[in-house]
Amino acid sequence: MIQRLGAIFLFYKPFFLWSMAVNIVLIIVNPYILPSIITKLLLTFFVWFLVHETSANRKLIFYKNLGISTWRLFSTLFLIDITITVTFLLLMKAFV
Amino acid sequence: MSIELDSVELYFNKRRILNGIYLKAETGKITGLLGRNGCGKSCVLQILFGSLQPKYKFIKIDGNPVLKPLYTQQKTAYLPQHHLAPDHLKIKTLFQLLQLDWNAFISHFESFSPYYNSKLNKVSGGERRVIETYAVLKQEGEIILLDEPFSNIAPLYVETIKNLISAEKINKAIIITDHYYRDVIDICDDLYLLSNGCTKKIEDLEELEDYKYLNLGSL
Repeated sequence: MIQRLGAIFLFYKPFFLWSMAVNIVLIIVNPYILPSIITKLLLTFFVWFLVHETSANRKLIFYKNLGISTWRLFSTLFLIDITITVTFLLLMKAFV
Repeated sequence: MSIELDSVELYFNKRRILNGIYLKAETGKITGLLGRNGCGKSCVLQILFGSLQPKYKFIKIDGNPVLKPLYTQQKTAYLPQHHLAPDHLKIKTLFQLLQLDWNAFISHFESFSPYYNSKLNKVSGGERRVIETYAVLKQEGEIILLDEPFSNIAPLYVETIKNLISAEKINKAIIITDHYYRDVIDICDDLYLLSNGCTKKIEDLEELEDYKYLNLGSL
């Protein structure tokens, strides 16, 4: 279980900075939780579409070797991202 | 444990790639799959693994039909033709993630000892292939699928990899495909030839010449 979660974090790592950039834009444009969750859901779907439609889908074999299906990979990715986003928004609201 | 793949039909657009596949692999045996370029060998392994969905397929493990992709049950490890692990991954992290013993690896491949902290994209293609092949071979799954494990690997490492594959077969069913047919023939217990979308079990190596996989006198 920890092994799989570690692998999913590994998959999330290259997207982290992009996600934080989107979070900053969200703070400026629309700093509410529900629109942020919808935005992140659409962005996760967009990343899935990019991976699915390009040769990047080969990279998913590594995660499948660990028993992580594409659905599980992207749904966990979304959950991790949304946790970071909501925490970030709440912290910004509290301190800024 | 035995695994059987049967009744496969695979199309890419309207082009038929596979139409009469039967393949059986058993624990304690290495099953070789030979065939020309583009005949669908990699597709057969991907169908078994569950990452490629054909029009029809029938997979049995110990005689029981299997409906879910094998990878979801963590019974199978698959080495694809291309790089397996992410480029930015450190070798150390790969070994930690897959719970592999670095010292055991070094006992087989001594010259790799300086690479423990290196990223996978900083070692040569052949060295990366060795690491990834070892990682897949040592996975806990009962079924190991190896797609071209010998490509781009130095002859010295090929011998070590062959020994490792032979040692792993005691607890695992191994299916291997490669264009280095001599190495495949060397280690495999059962051999199939994939030609015109169908598999044929090879009982006598001369059949490889009869089916025009090899030139006459190559053996």
